[in-house]
Amino acid sequence: MKEFLYTMIVVGGFLCVVGATAEEPAEQARPLGLPPVPYPKDNPQTPEKIALGEKLFNDTRFSSTGEVSCATCHLAEKGFTDSPLSVSEGINKLKGTRNAPTVVNAVYFETMFWDGRSPSLEDQALHPFVNPVEMGLEDHQPILDIVRSDPAYVKEFDTVFGKTGDAVTMTEVTQAIAAFERTQVAGDSPFDRWHYGGEKDALTAAQKRGFELFVNAGRCVSCHVIEQTQALFTDNRFHNVGVGINDIQNDVPDLAREFLKAEAAKTDVDVQVLTDKRTSELGRFAVTREFDDLGSIKTPTLRNVDVTAPYMHDGSLETLKDVMVHYNNGGVTNEDDPVNDFLSGGIRPLDLTDEQIDDLVAFMEALTSPSYARPAEADSSK
Amino acid sequence: MLKKILVGATFAAVAVAVCVGGVVIFADEFTDADAERWQEEFMSVVKAGRELWVSADLGTNGVACAQCHPNAANTHPETYPKFQQQLGRVIPLREMINWCLMHPLEGQPLELDDPKMVAIESYIAYERRGVAMAPGKH
Amino acid sequence: MSEFRPTRRDFLKSAGALAAASALPVSTVELAFAEPEKNFTFAHISDSHIQHIEGTKFVRNWDRGLIRAVAETNLLTPKPDFVIFGGDLAQLGKKEELDHGAEMLSKLDYEVHCVMGEHDYYLDLGEYWSELYGPHYYSWDHKGVHFVTLNSILTYDDWTYDRWPTAEQRMLEMAGLDNPNGSPFMVGQKQLEWLGKDLEGVSKDTPVVVFSHSPIQKIYKGWNFWTEEAEEVQALLRPFENATVVYGHVHQIQYNQIGNISFHAVMATAWPWPYPQSYAQAASKLPKLTVPMNRADPFFERDATGWQFIDVENGRIAMDYNLYNNTNRTVAFNPNTGQPEDSNYQASDRRIAPQIHY
Repeated sequence: MKEFLYTMIVVGGFLCVVGATAEEPAEQARPLGLPPVPYPKDNPQTPEKIALGEKLFNDTRFSSTGEVSCATCHLAEKGFTDSPLSVSEGINKLKGTRNAPTVVNAVYFETMFWDGRSPSLEDQALHPFVNPVEMGLEDHQPILDIVRSDPAYVKEFDTVFGKTGDAVTMTEVTQAIAAFERTQVAGDSPFDRWHYGGEKDALTAAQKRGFELFVNAGRCVSCHVIEQTQALFTDNRFHNVGVGINDIQNDVPDLAREFLKAEAAKTDVDVQVLTDKRTSELGRFAVTREFDDLGSIKTPTLRNVDVTAPYMHDGSLETLKDVMVHYNNGGVTNEDDPVNDFLSGGIRPLDLTDEQIDDLVAFMEALTSPSYARPAEADSSK
Repeated sequence: MLKKILVGATFAAVAVAVCVGGVVIFADEFTDADAERWQEEFMSVVKAGRELWVSADLGTNGVACAQCHPNAANTHPETYPKFQQQLGRVIPLREMINWCLMHPLEGQPLELDDPKMVAIESYIAYERRGVAMAPGKH
Repeated sequence: MSEFRPTRRDFLKSAGALAAASALPVSTVELAFAEPEKNFTFAHISDSHIQHIEGTKFVRNWDRGLIRAVAETNLLTPKPDFVIFGGDLAQLGKKEELDHGAEMLSKLDYEVHCVMGEHDYYLDLGEYWSELYGPHYYSWDHKGVHFVTLNSILTYDDWTYDRWPTAEQRMLEMAGLDNPNGSPFMVGQKQLEWLGKDLEGVSKDTPVVVFSHSPIQKIYKGWNFWTEEAEEVQALLRPFENATVVYGHVHQIQYNQIGNISFHAVMATAWPWPYPQSYAQAASKLPKLTVPMNRADPFFERDATGWQFIDVENGRIAMDYNLYNNTNRTVAFNPNTGQPEDSNYQASDRRIAPQIHY
């Protein structure tokens, strides 16, 4: 009798666990060094939604030439970027003006795009489809035609959202894509294991010196935030660090006025900034029209930065060392370049030695998560 | 009985004599004069801190602490240690002092036990006397 | 709040809509102002404190603040009628500092009127400053408004002439805001008489705007947020229907109404100062009206610094603070309440944390 009861309890418990798992949204455990992933209430995660999102992410039919998908510029094997391209190439290899940011850990951003013009992952997904140098569609209708008629999609949208036919809209499409993107989180880098995991030998001596510089003389931590229990390496704010803006320094008054005129004529900001390099350099001013945002660009995360070259919003700096030199010069790439008038107050010459610069680069190489580590380093415990 | 009184009285007399003579032999006894003197010792360090506070030589660019913090205002010593958002970790006041030395004053940080650091902290705390402790408050 | 008062900032933002409606380029939007002959904008940059280190080196932080203010002022559309510089161009009154500052100001595309600050004055008593910018006090009329510039950072004669062995020492002593050896600011008898005569010929319904470095109020003596004859200057302004004082020196947002006079402080481009209430050992007054600026984040050196543009409509001013790394603020005269008010935060339940953590 006891044995029978025991078995029933075990079986019952097992059934309960299975039942619970089937009903829980597919949220992942928090990676070491990252805060909990924020999920919006109106777009809960399910395994089916995530799979659908991944399929949409990779579907090249959603472009005017049938050759470009999100994954064209955000390749999983390249840290979800198109390294080593400086600026992305869309249909017919048309070049944009900006470097493809990684999707990894993008869920932690409060705004999307280098200038923060999109408030969410769902909204962000709408724009590249209809940008002339990305997917080149005139509007979203071709996408809706496909997802409403392709038998596999019809079944999947019904399963995930309980919707078919005209009830399937871009809302569902972008929610699925965003759900997939929310699974791309990666922490547990050597830095995380050293700083939060207590593994004293996870970093080399150079990397430890680099960390000290990062939080002190290098001043990096002011914007590339590290906190007591987790590190996003971004403050989610916008700063003019003197990249690109220097090229339009003298033209800012005219450019600003022309931009406002074009905006009045209802030209889409998304189109303007990606098709005209000089307009792109206005940065967040194109979104807020505040003087304070002239030339300001969103602080990107530094996680996995070692595998997402080249760097900055226009991909103009090839290596991490180039980036360090730019900051060491106080916000100019070549030491004799004039400093732009709108430079962020936090940027100043740093007087770092070559060795200190190398240490900072070494530190940044320690921010790569295991799944993106280069093969040569993936299994060494430096 | 008389013997006990005599012993007790002698003892007390000695104790009084010893105290009146200025030689303290009991652990936590100090006089008003002592307390005054020690306060002056402290104020001498506060004064040194004030001199550093207005000095153009703490950093390399001639900027003095007093330029942004007249009378050490807006230094909030009562809130330390705290999670210093801009540094990403919990720090005591003197680390923030060092941050100011390195950045707005473009100078070198002081060792945490440097007498100058103690003097600066003393001045800051003295100007903020009377304010309740609020550690961690941003 | 009061009825919608289009400010220059609103035009800059909604210029798009208006321009689209009329197919005009942005720069002609100013025609939309009612009575443009009487309503206009001017810009105000102040307290740059250009500080010389040695040779050709200056404190970079203060330089960047002035450079940015000038560059942004040049972007204003429609263009302001003129620019005021509110005083303390230099830090220690040195020729190098005044020259370096003047060079940066010369990039402004507009006419500039300058106000004397104590950091400009006490090395050579304003001699070189006059070579650059002319008289220490003066007045002029513009589109129906009577403007006066005062030199309000003078002090007692014996402190100025007899107290210190060298001019450098005198300048250093006055340069310390919290220096107990300092001396209170004043306009002096000569200027009081001049001001009285100057205002005699001005009709009482003419709006009067006074530019001054010290506050023409008695706010906190320990930091020279003070003008010794505040009451006497205010008395000279009392007969006017509409008088405004715009002052620098305090490096923070302040505003006040005393009788018929509105008072507006301007920001510094160099660095912010704490509010007097944050000095625990002094009883200090801040005009009760004032909603403090957000507390500065020292890690962004431009935070809590800025410049302003001022819309003048019917002689009343609306001051738009352009704050770096921060949300801009507007403090405008509210005709319903008869005092200047912050357009977003005036009501006490609208304050945000950075405004109360002092």
